[in-house]
Amino acid sequence: MAAVDAADARGRHAEDQPVVSLLTSAVTIAEFQLRRMLTRSRLAVAAIGILFPAAVVAAVGRTAGFPIERDLAALLIYALVPEAVCVLALLVTMCPVVADELERGTWIHVAVRPNGRRAMILGTFAAAVIWTVSVGTLALIPAVLVSGTEEPMRVFSVMLGLIVLSAAGRGALFALPAVIVPKRAMVASVGLALVVEYLAGLLPAVINQATVSLRLRSLLVEGMGWRRRLPAEVQLLIDTQPPSVQVLAVLVLVTLLLGLAVVIAERRQFPPSEEI
Amino acid sequence: MISLTHVTKLYGQVIGVNDVTVDLERGAHGLLGPNGAGKTTLLGLVTGQLRPTMGRVEVFGERPFSNPSVLSRIGYCPAGDIRERSVTPLQWVSYLVRLSGFTRHEAERRAAAALDQVRLSAAADRPIGTLSKGMRQRAKLAGALAHGPQLLVLDEPFDGLDPVARHDLVSLVKEWATHRSLLVASHLLHEIEPLGAGLVVILGSRVVASGSSSEIRSLIDATPAEVRVVCDKPRRLAEIVCRGDDARSLRFERDDTLIIGTRQAGMLAEQIMAAAIDEGIAVREVVPDDRSLEGVFGRLVSLHRGGV
Repeated sequence: MAAVDAADARGRHAEDQPVVSLLTSAVTIAEFQLRRMLTRSRLAVAAIGILFPAAVVAAVGRTAGFPIERDLAALLIYALVPEAVCVLALLVTMCPVVADELERGTWIHVAVRPNGRRAMILGTFAAAVIWTVSVGTLALIPAVLVSGTEEPMRVFSVMLGLIVLSAAGRGALFALPAVIVPKRAMVASVGLALVVEYLAGLLPAVINQATVSLRLRSLLVEGMGWRRRLPAEVQLLIDTQPPSVQVLAVLVLVTLLLGLAVVIAERRQFPPSEEI
Repeated sequence: MISLTHVTKLYGQVIGVNDVTVDLERGAHGLLGPNGAGKTTLLGLVTGQLRPTMGRVEVFGERPFSNPSVLSRIGYCPAGDIRERSVTPLQWVSYLVRLSGFTRHEAERRAAAALDQVRLSAAADRPIGTLSKGMRQRAKLAGALAHGPQLLVLDEPFDGLDPVARHDLVSLVKEWATHRSLLVASHLLHEIEPLGAGLVVILGSRVVASGSSSEIRSLIDATPAEVRVVCDKPRRLAEIVCRGDDARSLRFERDDTLIIGTRQAGMLAEQIMAAAIDEGIAVREVVPDDRSLEGVFGRLVSLHRGGV
């Protein structure tokens, strides 16, 4: 029996290293999810998402004239890429994390693996962030180039940082409806984005401190050097803490939201429908 | 190895399993019951997908729900089909083995070996969507056993297979059960019998009987049944049957049909045949009434509850 056990354990990560084991499983799931995303239909949708911001910027440029003034270009690109493109990409990658697996009949196979449930959430989150950052970055390049704005590198670097934070923050936010209401995750996520990110996030109250959108806006203002020029009423909609605090706040939000999603996924039970 | 103590699982107001107490030692075990009896719920509890509403479930001495140390020792093949159609069996099984904690290289090696074991090597690189139902069943089985679990749990593993594929898989699973533990759920006794497994019969969310397959078969054979006889002289036949001890009830349907309640369907059939020859009765049909598994299990439940 000992020989059998030794053979069984060959090539297996040590069970006394649960964190390593969990991360390895999460990487496995991230790889699998990314491979799944590389379908023709998904790539076609991504291509539309990549070209859409540049098309809008070009349309604005035709009206306002090229090159587009730097601040207008930055505001436009911010609304189109870190906000619209990133949120849309996350809606199709992070939201269906549980529903998709249930529909494909694969959840049950993953749920009975040692770290299956938590790795499913973490791995899919990683894949969604990688996908969203890739699509966002590819959308950003033509948008900045088309705008013909001055300081393109500054606009690009600020937006790239915002894309990464938007993908991570909103990805973690959308993980919650994905595990709480898997079959209505898309609708719930859109509602959550509207209510939390775009309503609560714009309230000049304590509640907006817990939103990703406040941090992104504050970093945009800081990154583009707009703080001193903003009217007093707009100052209420941003946070005055330094950029490092904004980034830290997003990381804390990601940790809390993702941790909560993992705990919920770990405790969720999906009854065998055949028997109900 | 598997211990359920007064386990009840409720889904809201629906009962999944009801006050089940079972102790299964190492070895092969079959879980027998009709559709909707609670088999999959029981397997869900054993494989850590479900938590009992009441009672206690232990596998290898620990609670299995979300317990990595237990889950790493279990291989589970669910009843549902794999609808992940774009990946190949090799990719799918490697993926599952990696999730059981193995390195990429080792996972690929084990996946290839498991697919070879279930005789799916030739189709290992074809997308799952292009495989037949039997091939997909084999891919599922390979995914369950590739990481070398100590306990293999199979839910309706032979469902939808042709006789040859069924024979192959039965042989494979039987060989597995010689050195590891096995729990197979099925609604067909003849699927589990060749495995030589001890049987637990579940119906209406309750365990109603357990024992060896021969004990269960004797129990099933001894359960009250009704035999429908269509002949030209049903009243004459009723007189003859009444002289023996095997009939427990009689009733007529139409002018040519006699329905006989019995605990000894085999003996009764012999008696009817003898009477037909001796008395010149033209018997057109002798049909055991409701010999479906549900019917047999229904009578088992009746016995379990003290009925006759």
